[in-house]
Amino acid sequence: MVMTNNKVKIKTEKLDVFYGQKQALKNVNLEIFNREVTALIGPSGCGKSTYIRCINRMNDVIETCKISGSIKIDGQEINNKQIDVVRLRERIGMVFQKPNPFPKSIYDNVAYGPQIHGLADHKDKLDQIVQTSLKKSALWEEVKDRLDEPGTSLSGGQQQRLCIARAISVNPEVILMDEPCSALDPIATAKIEELMEELKKTFTIVIVTHSMAQAVRVSQRTGFFHLGNLIEVDTTDKMFKNPNNKMTQDYITGRFG
Amino acid sequence: MSEEKRIVKSYEEEMQSLNDDLVKMGSLTESQLSDTIQAIVKIDKEAAENIIKNDAQINELRAKIDDQISTVLVKRAPMAIDLRTTISSLKISHDLERIGDLAKSVAKKIEPLPIDLPQELTGSLKRLGELVQKQLNNVLDAYITKSKDKAVDVWRNDEQVDDLTHIAMNEVANFLGKNKKNLELATHLLFVTKNIERAGDHVTNIAESLYYLIEGEYLEGARPKGKEFVKDK
Repeated sequence: MVMTNNKVKIKTEKLDVFYGQKQALKNVNLEIFNREVTALIGPSGCGKSTYIRCINRMNDVIETCKISGSIKIDGQEINNKQIDVVRLRERIGMVFQKPNPFPKSIYDNVAYGPQIHGLADHKDKLDQIVQTSLKKSALWEEVKDRLDEPGTSLSGGQQQRLCIARAISVNPEVILMDEPCSALDPIATAKIEELMEELKKTFTIVIVTHSMAQAVRVSQRTGFFHLGNLIEVDTTDKMFKNPNNKMTQDYITGRFG
Repeated sequence: MSEEKRIVKSYEEEMQSLNDDLVKMGSLTESQLSDTIQAIVKIDKEAAENIIKNDAQINELRAKIDDQISTVLVKRAPMAIDLRTTISSLKISHDLERIGDLAKSVAKKIEPLPIDLPQELTGSLKRLGELVQKQLNNVLDAYITKSKDKAVDVWRNDEQVDDLTHIAMNEVANFLGKNKKNLELATHLLFVTKNIERAGDHVTNIAESLYYLIEGEYLEGARPKGKEFVKDK
C-alpha cells in the first residue's frame, strides 16, 4: 500500500456483523484516512452499506443485528454501549441514496441539526450556519432567494446537495455517503462529485458506489467487498490500474457481478 | 491474466477483435521487415517495389486499431487489465507502424544501389537484419503467449542490436575510407543500417509496453545499451 501523510481517522478491526443467522461482514479490517475520500465498491449484498452503517451505529435500530469487533474513531472505540450515539451521529454525518429532505423549508432543513445540537444560541448565528453550509454544499447561489420554500420543491440534485448541507451544518468530522448519486442525472452527479473534491479538504468521506468510474474520479483509496469479506483495499490508482487480487480485477473488469 | 470471459459479450468481442487485429498487424510487419532484409542483401529491386506498396496495409490496420481503441475507451471505460491492454495496444500498434515505415524506407534505398554490392558490405548488415527480425518475432510470440520473461529477453537483447549496428556502420565507413567515390553508396548504406537499428528500438518499445500490460509496472532500469557508433581507428 502506498504510504500516506494523513493519519488514520477510522480504524476497524475484526469486525463481524450478523443479521440473525446471516453473516453480513466477516472479519473486516480497514483503515479510513483523515481528509481523504474512501470508496467502497462491490456487488449488491457484499456488505459495503452494512459497513458504513456500523460507523454511525445505524445498525442499532435493527433488532436482529449483532456486531462484534472494534471500530475506533481517532482512537476512541465506538462499538460499545457507553458511547453517546446522538453525539456520535453529530460527528458522523450521512447522505443516502435517495435525497430525503425533511418536509420543511430549505432553511429549516439546514437549521434543524444545529438547533437540536445547540450549536446556535441566537438567530444570527443560525443564519450564518445555514448560509455557510449551503455555500459549502454549492447550493447557496441557487436557493438564497427562496429559503422559505419547501426543500422538496428543489430538483433531485439540489435536494441531494441540501442533504449534504444538512449533514455538514453540525460540523461533522466524517461524512458517509451511500450511493449519493445513483438517483441523479450526469450534471447533478458532476456537481456532487465536484463538491466532494472541496469537502474532503475539511471532512473525511466514505462513499459507497456502484459506479467504478465514480470511485476512480472521487476517491483516493478504494476497498472492494465481496460476500461480506473485504477482499482488497489500496490506493484508487492501484486498484483500478493493477489490483493485486484476481477477484478485484474480475469484478472491476465486468467478469462477474 | 484473467481467463474468465466478460459478462458483456459485445465487450468481449471488441477486445478479441482488437487483439486479432494487433496480431495480424504484427504478422504483416514481420513479413515486411523480413522481405526488406532479404531484398537489401540480394539487391532485389522488384521485391523492394512490393514492400513499398504493401506498407499501406499496415497503415490501414493501425488506423483501424486506433479507431477500435477510441471506441473501447469511450464505450467501456476499461479498468485494470483491460485498461492496460487498451493502452499497450495503442502503443504497440504505433511501434509496429513505425517498423513498417522503416522497412519501407530501407526498400526505397534499394533502387539506387548497384546489383553487385561488395560482399564486405552486406555481411554485418545481414546479421543485423536477421537479429532485428528475430527480435520482432520473439516479441510478437511473447505478446501472443503473454510471456513476461520473453518480453524481458527481447528488451535485454537490444544491446546486441546496438553492437551489430556499430560493426556494420564501421564496415561502411572503412569502405568509404578506401575511396571517396564510394560516398553516395556509403550514405545509402548508413541510412539503411540506421533504419534497421531504429526498427530494433521499436521492438524494444513493444517489449516494454508488453511488460506493462502483463505486470502493471514499467520495466525498471535504463534500457541496455550497446556501443554507440564511433568510427574505429
